[in-house]
Amino acid sequence: MTSFRLDKGGLIDRSSELNFTFDGKAFTGHQGDTLASALIANGVHLMGRSFKYHRPRGVISAGASEPNALVELRDGGRKEANTRATMVELYDGLIANSQNRWPSLDFDLGAVNSLASSMFVAGFYYKTFMWPKSFWEKIYEPIIRKAAGLGTASKLPDPDKYEKAYAHCDMLVIGSGPTGLMAALAAARSGGRVILGDEGSALGGSLLSEREEIAGVSGYNWAQGVLAELASMPNVTLMPRTTVVGWFDGNIFGAIERVNDHVIAPSPYEPRQRYWRIIAKRAVLAAGAEERPVAFGGNDVPGVMLASAMRTYANRYAAAAGKSVVVFTGNDSGYRTARDMQAHGVHVEAIIDSRTESKADAGGVPVLRERMIANVSGGKGVAGVELTDHTKISCDAVAMSGGWSPIVNLACHRGAKPAWNEAILGFVPPETGKAFVAAGSAAGRMLLSECLADGASKGTLAGKALAVPKCRDEAFAVSPLWWVKQSTGKAFVDYQNDSTAKDLPLAAQEGYKDIELAKRYTTTGMATDQGKLGNVNAIAILAEATGKSIEQVGTTTFRPFYTPVAFGAFAGPFTGHHFQPVRKTPLHDWADELGAVFVETGLWMRSSWFPLAGEDWLASASREVLATRNGVGICDVSTLGKIDVQGRDAGAFLDRLYCNTFSTLAVGKARYGLMLREDGIVYDDGTTSRLADDHYVMTTTTANAARVMAQMEFAHQALFPELDVTYVSVTEQWAQMAVAGPKSRATLQKIVDDLVMSDETVPYMAAKEVTVLGGVPARLFRLSFSGEHAYELAVPADYGNMAARAICQAGEEFGIVPYGVEALSIMRVEKGHVAGGELNGTTTAADLGLGKMMSTKKDYIGRMMAMREGLTDTNRQCVVGIRPVEPGDRIRSGAHILKLDDKPSMANDQGYLSSVAWSPMLNMWIALALVSNGRARHGERVRVWDGLRGHETIGEICDPVHFDRENKRLHA
Amino acid sequence: MPKSPARPKAAAAPEIMLPRVSPLADVAIQGRFGADRGAPGVEFRVRHPMSIVTVIARQGQGSAVAAALVPHAPQWAGPDQYFVIAEGRGEGALYRELKSALDGIASVSDQSHGRVIIRISGVKARAVLAKGTPVDLHPDECAMGKSALTQMAHVGVHLTRVGENAFDLSVFRGFAESFWEWITEQAEEFGYMVR
Amino acid sequence: MLIPCPHCGTRPVEEFTFLGDASVKRPTSNDPASMDQWFDYVYLRDNPKGRFDEYAHHAGGCRAWLVVSRNTATHEVYGCVTARDYAKAGGKS
Repeated sequence: MTSFRLDKGGLIDRSSELNFTFDGKAFTGHQGDTLASALIANGVHLMGRSFKYHRPRGVISAGASEPNALVELRDGGRKEANTRATMVELYDGLIANSQNRWPSLDFDLGAVNSLASSMFVAGFYYKTFMWPKSFWEKIYEPIIRKAAGLGTASKLPDPDKYEKAYAHCDMLVIGSGPTGLMAALAAARSGGRVILGDEGSALGGSLLSEREEIAGVSGYNWAQGVLAELASMPNVTLMPRTTVVGWFDGNIFGAIERVNDHVIAPSPYEPRQRYWRIIAKRAVLAAGAEERPVAFGGNDVPGVMLASAMRTYANRYAAAAGKSVVVFTGNDSGYRTARDMQAHGVHVEAIIDSRTESKADAGGVPVLRERMIANVSGGKGVAGVELTDHTKISCDAVAMSGGWSPIVNLACHRGAKPAWNEAILGFVPPETGKAFVAAGSAAGRMLLSECLADGASKGTLAGKALAVPKCRDEAFAVSPLWWVKQSTGKAFVDYQNDSTAKDLPLAAQEGYKDIELAKRYTTTGMATDQGKLGNVNAIAILAEATGKSIEQVGTTTFRPFYTPVAFGAFAGPFTGHHFQPVRKTPLHDWADELGAVFVETGLWMRSSWFPLAGEDWLASASREVLATRNGVGICDVSTLGKIDVQGRDAGAFLDRLYCNTFSTLAVGKARYGLMLREDGIVYDDGTTSRLADDHYVMTTTTANAARVMAQMEFAHQALFPELDVTYVSVTEQWAQMAVAGPKSRATLQKIVDDLVMSDETVPYMAAKEVTVLGGVPARLFRLSFSGEHAYELAVPADYGNMAARAICQAGEEFGIVPYGVEALSIMRVEKGHVAGGELNGTTTAADLGLGKMMSTKKDYIGRMMAMREGLTDTNRQCVVGIRPVEPGDRIRSGAHILKLDDKPSMANDQGYLSSVAWSPMLNMWIALALVSNGRARHGERVRVWDGLRGHETIGEICDPVHFDRENKRLHA
Repeated sequence: MPKSPARPKAAAAPEIMLPRVSPLADVAIQGRFGADRGAPGVEFRVRHPMSIVTVIARQGQGSAVAAALVPHAPQWAGPDQYFVIAEGRGEGALYRELKSALDGIASVSDQSHGRVIIRISGVKARAVLAKGTPVDLHPDECAMGKSALTQMAHVGVHLTRVGENAFDLSVFRGFAESFWEWITEQAEEFGYMVR
Repeated sequence: MLIPCPHCGTRPVEEFTFLGDASVKRPTSNDPASMDQWFDYVYLRDNPKGRFDEYAHHAGGCRAWLVVSRNTATHEVYGCVTARDYAKAGGKS
């Protein structure tokens, strides 16, 4: 027989033929196969090379714990490294490649590491490569990284989609074996909302792999009956291909649903994987138990595998691990493998049982008691075994069973440690409270009847527990079997990290006696499988080496995630253009039509400049400034935060928020306000207008809008709850535009209804409710950031684009230009208005030249702390203007100010340029700067030192108002 | 005491010639999208133009405001805070009506242009929403007419159950396009109609 | 972690932002002699193991400021009240 496919049985669809390649070689398998089972059925046992020694490796398990058979799955942008062949569902066109081998899996030069293996003992990196120190980074590490390792990641973008989703339930059942099915059925019949999740491609857990009977039918058929009932219930959600990977505070579980990993490529409308956050009122851990390997010489030769895995390959996948097998066990469950293999027509040479006696049924297979396998012979496949009494047996596969470990991981994710149970020789879950309980073999109940009963009882939400079906129990008796010390070959404890049984006593001898230290020194329990198979053996061996009990040694820390999770699943859909939402202003289309270049400001897209053909940003912004100052310009300022503040105490509340006073503001007027933090530093600024006695509308800077809103909510609710005030963001209700320049009034007059605009009807700092364009309600403010005679007009957002177009039309005769934030910024630097560069979280009101705004007549946030010595020191850096002495010189933002005679050094630092602009009005570069005691130094010449860019020039300190110091234009 | 100026003409003007333009006008294209097997699982409709008004009770007036709003079928929008929405009202009409009716007991702010309401309906509506919100939308937990404030795809959403399988999602106008692109993508696997 | 918002019901922690110890009280005096109290209020915070009353802003929900009482060692949440009610009760949850 060239094939190792059994003639009958298994849950595979023999009518299907799936073609796949492994290391470029073509194979076929069937629907229902995993990559591992299909390779075994094709007689391929060699699936990878080991991490350190490059030893040939095959599958150890048939499930999630697989440490050896890690492959690179798929290719191109879909390539996924370190994929467990035991979990990969076979599909037509599957491409897999082995890892960590060169030039080929069959002939790997790295295997010479095995010859030098005495070097590669525990801690070898630390011992060998520490000297000379400089060699580590440049020589040792790159070589080691190249030789030792796992698969490689694709450097191409992942073309597939990932999703995130929430689910809610009364009962989450994790695992769909006999325990899980009973728990889910009990909960579902109680009427609760139930989610049943299982990492397997099909639900049924161990019942898919074992030959046993429940309620007089095969376990498989019984499971199908229960699943059919569950599927018919509207309160039940069945989630196969879903691995619950973490248990978090609040009984929230993280789960990865592999929606489309089993097809060659997902439909363009579907995700590859979905990360679920399941909020469960209660949950049952029915994850089952994991069989342990045994440490003996050559226990990693391809063909040596867990006894339960060998059964699974035969029973579920109809794939024979060999033609002639030996079973090595220290407990009764190995006998099932011998019987099952024999039933499939595979020759079983013998059961090697380390114990003196056993009541288990050997099914006629010879049992060699009180003996163990010392060594396996063979390289890339098993040739035979040598027992501790030196008996030699020829065989081509070995099934091993060191006992069973309940899968406790999830129960330990929130910090509790599992407890050692001497009766079953395994760690059982800690007490985790009522909301999350373990059941069945995950809780250490190792008989089928116990599992069914425990599931029924733990799953019941209300009323009486479910009736438990009858079944026949397999024998379960176990004796310690960790390490065959008579072995001469390498006896691996942790396959994936190539750590051997001898490494642990060595670690203990060298002082690393604590399990957490021994783990890190030997690397046992690390990497993708996190010691699922090897940890208990390692703990037992370390216990013996240190003279402690297993309980005293304890386990390492269990952390999420139970199995490796793709980064894509964590990112979900929030990549590329969904990385963060985009916020568009109501004038976006208008600006876009006029060729605006947009800039991200927080989430907002703001029009930055409006270039004409051939203009760069500076030419465009300069033209916009000149046109505005000489005629009229229009700018989108909708992004400023706008908050409706209403109520009897609205004025009193604003008085607490701002350092200046608003309760005295007249209705119909606006006032500039400065807000401090409680530590006395300036927080935000903006104008607030009073629309009625009990109604203000305040504005915030674009950047701080959300934070200021949160600060208001805090101030009112936590600090001043006695105030009768309400506040709500109306930022998005209004499209707001600044219309600035000597022709701004003439322009707006053409669109305002029934109002003759003059200094009397709309005086400086007026705030009026008006209508425009034949009845559109609007708010008209006479405010100026540019220093020009200027207005801000707000219209309801849906009219925004039309209103802006109408203003442009109205201003056409005056040469109106749209201007962006670059021109806005130039004009404010020309006028010495402070903005983000100066309101930078380190400056006080006095630093900004606004000290007089601080009221002494009321309590407000920041008042007391602003009085501190350090914040009132006259040597503090305060806002000044800086101009280059040679008008042609360029100065740049961030450059430092030094005294003229000082050497360029930060020790001589006097301050820095916080905002720099090219002034088209003055034809030179100008700046605002924060300079020590700057106000007293106007006229002083200083060095402007840009150490970062290697540039230096001479500048002069001046008044921050560079242009129109008398504010003639504002009132023109 | 400063004196309130006379209300401008807008306060009384009922009709405006300018049409309102939805921020989703160019984005929410009618038709069928996504997976095309069988009936679409989800349907989207942009409810526009709408009148949307925020009402916040003044200190101690929570019950009075709740009682006064009963005829308006208010949607809960936070502690002592509601949205009142209506179709087919003139510009500012609902706002003016409520401002006058609730004078002294509540703050009223017009948000008609500031928010966009997207209605999602269909058998898979809940499955789509579960990709964004942690709120449990099972009918036992979220009854007809119930509202919740939540976040979906980093965007604040005011969500209201308006039918067995129908929900209104109200988002700030500036996020509407981004949110629309995200939520329709989440519906692709079920196939969706835009009406 | 789940937080029982008194307005919105139980919501995951991702919807909240935190501002630390809620038991500190803002001084009422603006007398320079009270500066020490202000220093304590603005800067001094304990970092207790065990029960802790903490300001939480339900920024992704109703936008109310809340006080969440939780165990800093076990993450057990004992309760959650509005900051307004907490302030009115004199800083007790």
